[in-house]
Amino acid sequence: MIGLALRLLRLGGRRAWASAGLVGAGAAVATTLLTIAVGALHGLDERESRTAWRAPAVAAADPVAQLRLRTDSAAGRSITQIDLVAPVATAAPPPGLPRMPAPGEVWVSPALAELLGTLPADELAARYPGPATGLLGEAGLQSPDELVAVIGRPAGDPVLTVPGNSDVAPVAGFDVPRPAGRDYAMTDVYRQLTIVAVALVVFPVAGLLGASARLSAARRSERLATLRLLGASARQVTVVAVAEVTAVAAVAAVVGVLLEWALSPLVAMIPLAGNGWFAADVRPGLLACLAIVAGVALLATASAVGGLRQVVVGPLGVVRRQRPQGARWLRLLGVAVALVVLLVVNSALQVVSVDAMGIVFVVAILAMFGSVALIGPLVVRVLGSRMARGAGSVPGLLAGRRLLDDPKGAFRPLAGLTLAVFVAGFLAPMTAVVAGTVTADPSMLRLTAPAGATGLEDAARARLVSIGIPASVDTVDDAREGVGLAVLPADPAQLDRARTALDGLVPGAVVQTGAEQEHEGAMLVEDLQRGALVVLVATFLVAATATGTAAAARVLDHRHTLRLLTLAGTPLVALDRARRAETVRPLFANGAIALVLGLACASPFAAAAKALEPSGLLLLAGVLVAGTALVLAATAASRPLLRSVTAPDREGSR
Amino acid sequence: MNNAPILSGSRLTKRFGASTVLSDVNVAVSPGETLAITGPSGSGKSTLLHCLAGILRPDEGVVRLGAERVDTLSEGARTALRLQRMGFVFQFGQLLPELPAVENVALPLMLGGVPRREAVRRAAAWFPSLGLAGLELRRPGQLSGGQEQRVAIARALVAEPAVVFADEPTGALDSATGRQVVELLCGLAVRTGTALVVVTHDPDVAAACHRTVALRDGRVVRAEVPA
Repeated sequence: MIGLALRLLRLGGRRAWASAGLVGAGAAVATTLLTIAVGALHGLDERESRTAWRAPAVAAADPVAQLRLRTDSAAGRSITQIDLVAPVATAAPPPGLPRMPAPGEVWVSPALAELLGTLPADELAARYPGPATGLLGEAGLQSPDELVAVIGRPAGDPVLTVPGNSDVAPVAGFDVPRPAGRDYAMTDVYRQLTIVAVALVVFPVAGLLGASARLSAARRSERLATLRLLGASARQVTVVAVAEVTAVAAVAAVVGVLLEWALSPLVAMIPLAGNGWFAADVRPGLLACLAIVAGVALLATASAVGGLRQVVVGPLGVVRRQRPQGARWLRLLGVAVALVVLLVVNSALQVVSVDAMGIVFVVAILAMFGSVALIGPLVVRVLGSRMARGAGSVPGLLAGRRLLDDPKGAFRPLAGLTLAVFVAGFLAPMTAVVAGTVTADPSMLRLTAPAGATGLEDAARARLVSIGIPASVDTVDDAREGVGLAVLPADPAQLDRARTALDGLVPGAVVQTGAEQEHEGAMLVEDLQRGALVVLVATFLVAATATGTAAAARVLDHRHTLRLLTLAGTPLVALDRARRAETVRPLFANGAIALVLGLACASPFAAAAKALEPSGLLLLAGVLVAGTALVLAATAASRPLLRSVTAPDREGSR
Repeated sequence: MNNAPILSGSRLTKRFGASTVLSDVNVAVSPGETLAITGPSGSGKSTLLHCLAGILRPDEGVVRLGAERVDTLSEGARTALRLQRMGFVFQFGQLLPELPAVENVALPLMLGGVPRREAVRRAAAWFPSLGLAGLELRRPGQLSGGQEQRVAIARALVAEPAVVFADEPTGALDSATGRQVVELLCGLAVRTGTALVVVTHDPDVAAACHRTVALRDGRVVRAEVPA
């Protein structure tokens, strides 16, 4: 039967191919998005494995070097500076270096080499003990645009004693595995956030796959009836229907993965944690790709089987529409369970480690997605009942009766967008929280000297005057450790020159503004906002495609009746208005509920009231406008199909 | 029966690509008259019905409903004309599965601007005379094939059209039910003074009509009044 299914597809002519193409396009786009999301996780792992040497295993005795990791700044960008003090020349070098750097050597990343070439020496190069010795290889870099300097220092270099923004570690060896149970790292936060993003994207993607498979099932119903009439059993008919969808989805999934591979240079340009990616990093491994293809094919198969259950093909080959099961109030029980899960998760988040936070959070998202999916058809049923009772016009009556007749079927085209509204509700208070986080001063340079240091203020002033930079210089009493110095250049454009001039004032001390010191936090804020936008755009686009596909499937499901109604004089505009009414009103009702659930899901992190702050409101307003426009556009997109199936010339009968 | 035709088609020709489906066909039907269009499969029966109903525009010839010329009207005007002055009964699947029977019947009235309550009241009034009393709130899926066709007949007649077109109205029914349905349809057409045009390949259905026009390869080969 599988052979027959593929043969039917192959010989099905232009329409069969066009339909398979539509299903395939949906599945391919969904797979690409899924692969990008999984690729981000893969990329984070790759980044971490290449930069693990910067936080190496600590030596109890006989270190190969003392390592100090600092963050410097130039031209508004962060530079990772790794000082290796007293390096053992014969020890295995860090990844990306051909040998251990000798004292006085400066190895730089290609991006830093480029920056050194463009900036005047007194803005950056003068901070280093000499010109660049060589380039760091990819094996030791987070990303191609990362700015890194590895500097060899002699034993006893003051860099070890100066207070700064990181600890000194005696290195056991760069090839020695780091012990488990390591400290908190920013990468972990990013990984957990990416897991949450994958979870937020994966369900709308599943919805799109389901809608595509349903479209395919609607198109096939007549062919299946013929097969049944010829004596095929119900099981054989199911195999024929499912084999086609599975084959199309599997091929489309492979295309989707290849598309992600092809797009990886572009995807790699989206910055995360301040830098882009190596294109190979955002391409998931072969096993992960195979798992994605298998998952997409399985999901499409499951959706096709679900779709077929609604088309019962009797032994006489008559396609009958099964009276759909109504949405039961029992669903509310499921919603109650989901709310209990949310409460449990809320408590769990207080105690779990950063490593597990993402997974725990995904459980909460799953529970809330489940609630939205459970409650949606129920809302549609209640709304349909009200509309049918109160309708004074044909479109209102048709829409109300259709909603009441098959609430689950009516909710299906809206499920994706409802979930997208949930995602927006979840992200709105979060963006408001992060938007208000970073407030540090971006123009005043600060440096810290060991306690007891004297004459710093005068020395700093003298250095600045010697290169002609007017600036106010003050000693800060409340420095957390040591003596703090605050320098405010009169011309902000002179910041890097002033920084370079002050660089050797306290050997090894970093000279940064308050904003630069909080750079990591600022990057996280930026990444969260960008991530929220990417996730929202992806979910909305996927959801709109699913809505359009599902709307087309509904037209195909009812094509015979729609055609006869039109022949009998029913204006197309009345049918179109009915379609719009049965889409927009349930979307608003479900969207409002999804929004509340999204806010509830975000509550462990941010109060729902945060959504009322400008950035949250802007996001919600954008969602409202975009959601409505997308639903109308998606419904309108199937209007030509409606016109086509109701056109008298399609009859061709004589 | 009023002898002046309410619907006429003169010298109708219709082509699909290189194939001529109707060729120089003349046909007319008067109020209260029933006309059967018969012929083998592919003879042009349905195309003739579609041309007469304004669904298709003939390539040549004239279609008139009363004094109004139909074939020159715009698509929108023809759709409105079908809604206001014509009724249709098809072979199967013409009822909206989501609507109860009575609302299916009320649909043409509501589309014509009659308020819902009034439309449903007028629709319900047809049910006893069609043997459908008590079935008003049933969905099409809960009705037998014969009952469904009777609901469709009520829907075709509820707006008091000038002409009812029926395309193989008994095609999906057993012979006994088909006979009952066609007798009901013809009887109601005569009683209400509505012209009825039936496309059929069933001789029994044709025999129940006042006149028969037989087609073959798009041409009228026989026009007769059954004995």
